[in-house]
Amino acid sequence: MRYLKFLLPLLLVVCLDLVFQLGIYEPLASPGSHAGMSISVKSALDAPAFARVDLVTLGSSRPVYGIDHEALTRAAAAHGLVYANLSVPGMHWMSLRVITDWLARQHPEVQGGIIALAVQDFLAPGNGSYELGIAYPFRTFSEIPWMREHVPFDWHDPATYGLYSGLFEYHEDVQDIVAHPQHRRKLLRWFHARAPQQVLQANANETTGLCSAGISKLSDCATMAARDPAVAAKLAPQCRELEGAAKGRYDMRVYLDGREPLTARLAEVSDLVRAQLRGLHWKIPPVIVLMPMHDAWLRDAMPAGAHSWALQVLAPLVADGTIRLLDETDLFNSDAGTDCSAFFDFYHNNVSGRERLMQKIMPALQSDLIGEAAAPVAK
Amino acid sequence: MLFTSIQFVVFFIAVLVLNQPLRRWPIAQKAMLVLASYYFYAQWNWHYLFLVWFSTVVDYSIGLRLPHSPKPHRLIALSVIVNLGFLGIFKYANWMISSLNGVSAALGDAMHITPLDVVLPVGISFYTFQSLSYTIDVYRGEMAPRRNFLDYALAVAFFPQLEAGPIVRAREFFAELDGPKLVRLRDVQRALVLIAFGFVKKMVFADSLALVADPVFDNPAGAGFWNTLFAVYAFAFQIYCDFSGYTDIATGCALLLGIRFPQNFNYPYIAQSFQDFWRRWHMTLSRWLRDYLYISLGGNRAGKLRTLANLMITMLLGGLWHGASWTFVIWGGLHGLYLVIERIGLSRWKLWQSPSRAMILVRWAVVFHFVCLAWIFFRAKTFGAAWQVLANLAHGVMHAFANFAPAQHTGLALLFIVLMIVHALNANRRVKDRLGDDRGPAFVVAMTAAILLLVLFTPNHSAPFIYFQF
Repeated sequence: MRYLKFLLPLLLVVCLDLVFQLGIYEPLASPGSHAGMSISVKSALDAPAFARVDLVTLGSSRPVYGIDHEALTRAAAAHGLVYANLSVPGMHWMSLRVITDWLARQHPEVQGGIIALAVQDFLAPGNGSYELGIAYPFRTFSEIPWMREHVPFDWHDPATYGLYSGLFEYHEDVQDIVAHPQHRRKLLRWFHARAPQQVLQANANETTGLCSAGISKLSDCATMAARDPAVAAKLAPQCRELEGAAKGRYDMRVYLDGREPLTARLAEVSDLVRAQLRGLHWKIPPVIVLMPMHDAWLRDAMPAGAHSWALQVLAPLVADGTIRLLDETDLFNSDAGTDCSAFFDFYHNNVSGRERLMQKIMPALQSDLIGEAAAPVAK
Repeated sequence: MLFTSIQFVVFFIAVLVLNQPLRRWPIAQKAMLVLASYYFYAQWNWHYLFLVWFSTVVDYSIGLRLPHSPKPHRLIALSVIVNLGFLGIFKYANWMISSLNGVSAALGDAMHITPLDVVLPVGISFYTFQSLSYTIDVYRGEMAPRRNFLDYALAVAFFPQLEAGPIVRAREFFAELDGPKLVRLRDVQRALVLIAFGFVKKMVFADSLALVADPVFDNPAGAGFWNTLFAVYAFAFQIYCDFSGYTDIATGCALLLGIRFPQNFNYPYIAQSFQDFWRRWHMTLSRWLRDYLYISLGGNRAGKLRTLANLMITMLLGGLWHGASWTFVIWGGLHGLYLVIERIGLSRWKLWQSPSRAMILVRWAVVFHFVCLAWIFFRAKTFGAAWQVLANLAHGVMHAFANFAPAQHTGLALLFIVLMIVHALNANRRVKDRLGDDRGPAFVVAMTAAILLLVLFTPNHSAPFIYFQF
């Protein structure tokens, strides 16, 4: 007993950590953080209106802006189906699996959905430690090894401590709430006042375009400093990313045509993607939409042959009927470059781009997804 | 190896595990601690271990010969030359060279001396002073030379104090070594309280306050009045939390190994006089400067004017001890000036000495703000930056109320008020001591809170301890 008082503080902290891991902090998390956006999706799914969910969209910020969720909601409702957009900015393979596993447990009625990806998603198995925040509200303790495979634990990087600790996962959020309590209070009040439909079925509308910013290719980044400060503030970080990627650009085609054996990393990604998509036990094969990409990424920054690589990874899945593929990577690209009127930055489509994309893919979604989901009901 | 790194935690646990069974064999225990200390230092740069060894061997040998030497003053001079020579070469040579080059350039002279290609060895200012205190004490006959080389090597290199103090005098250290090195449960509790407080002060407060102070001091030209004022306050608390946090961790670690260190900080920002401040701030350095410099210069025994001059010289050299830069000399000079003014003026002014609460508050406010004023020179990288910080304050003060942005500034203002209140409450209620002796739940609550603070409020980017650069 004499030694208990030395152990008790540690035990108390461990207990509090467990309580954090079980979700006690979720109602207070910043709605703008990765975890907060994920929590908003999870709590919206608790609403009675979403007691039954038939179709979902999963993906990162690209489908948040680039897919017309309101149109899909209407189309699904016309067949008596419920649609929910579960995309969260930053979502990658790790969080995708954690969320689909959660759906399998909590919403086994889900029949199918769209998994919106981009060529970039086929280059690495993980997307950085911030993906932990997205996965956190949905994960179980048994999924920690899976998460660790994608976000390896690193003593020198406290952001990875979140793998095992709820307190660490939310520590920046707690710092922010202490520094700006009034701001958080207002934000949470607005956030909790939102209807679940607003979270799961509404579109994110961005009407600005890269053309009005005067930026259409990577080389335009060099003149960023001379541009409108608001544009520069928004695009400068992306330009830095692009320029960084362009410096390390390599040629993947040597792996595609068999001149060199696949690197272990690429083989890992290929195995992971295939296993993950095959592991989805939806009633309808998922529709994989390869979202439109800007030329600056495709031709200037990403490895040469990256698009072909993504198609090569997916090809066996298409062949055996595991997935249906809608490849819209080059929808807005031509020999003259990218149609800048379809993007509001180097990643995301604006409203115009979204409408043009939906015009192209909606018929296939109507037949392959909504039609098939509705088929048993119709019978 | 930083105290705040995972490597140190693993290293220290290994040392503790080895230390416990070795207590029955003191020689083996000391040998293990010496080797661990050298390993600890070598993690920074093993080449500079030779300096530690050289200083150790020279001062040990001089110490042995001093009592029997017919000309002991020559031996003590050799010790001073060797120790201060190292400091001169590694710490001050390039500063003197650049100063000479600057003067030469200003005079239009073509002379240019190439700077030396040396790195400032971590902890050199601390272990040379500790080593010097030994030979001076033996020379003065205040202690007998230590015959056991292992004891002496450990006194110089004992890892909790090696890099940034406290400056433990050899005789104090030997008294600890010779005493019962029994670590009781109460000592463990006290040590854990110290270590927890140290980590929280450094990792939560000092590193967070650096985020307020650094942008302004690194680029003062663009900062307004309030941002500059808050940066000055932030640095005042940052350096206190950083250095006293380091000391707490060092003292706690040493206590777990059975060695008690002297107190190094005693809530300096509640001081009501500058003399009081120096009795509370970096107490082991103040004591060293008093005993080995101020008293050697004649102290207050040679008339009023000479006393004031001795005070000024001591503070100027104390400033220079911190770093090879004129800004540190100015910092020391300002404190010397404060002490001189206090001695010749304030201490004789009855109103100033009034025990009324209002005057206590006035004295505290004046002392704190003049200490902050001196910190500007301590923190600024150049004179230009220091003047810019002062200019921001001077020019902005006229429009201070108009420029106060509640949304931006209220939080920081409250933070500094709370920090000062907590500082004063800790001082009055001796919170650390009481928690160290607590038999109730307070210890458990405090330690839980400390761990939670560390987990939740440590910024992602931790900075090295400020005093490592000295």
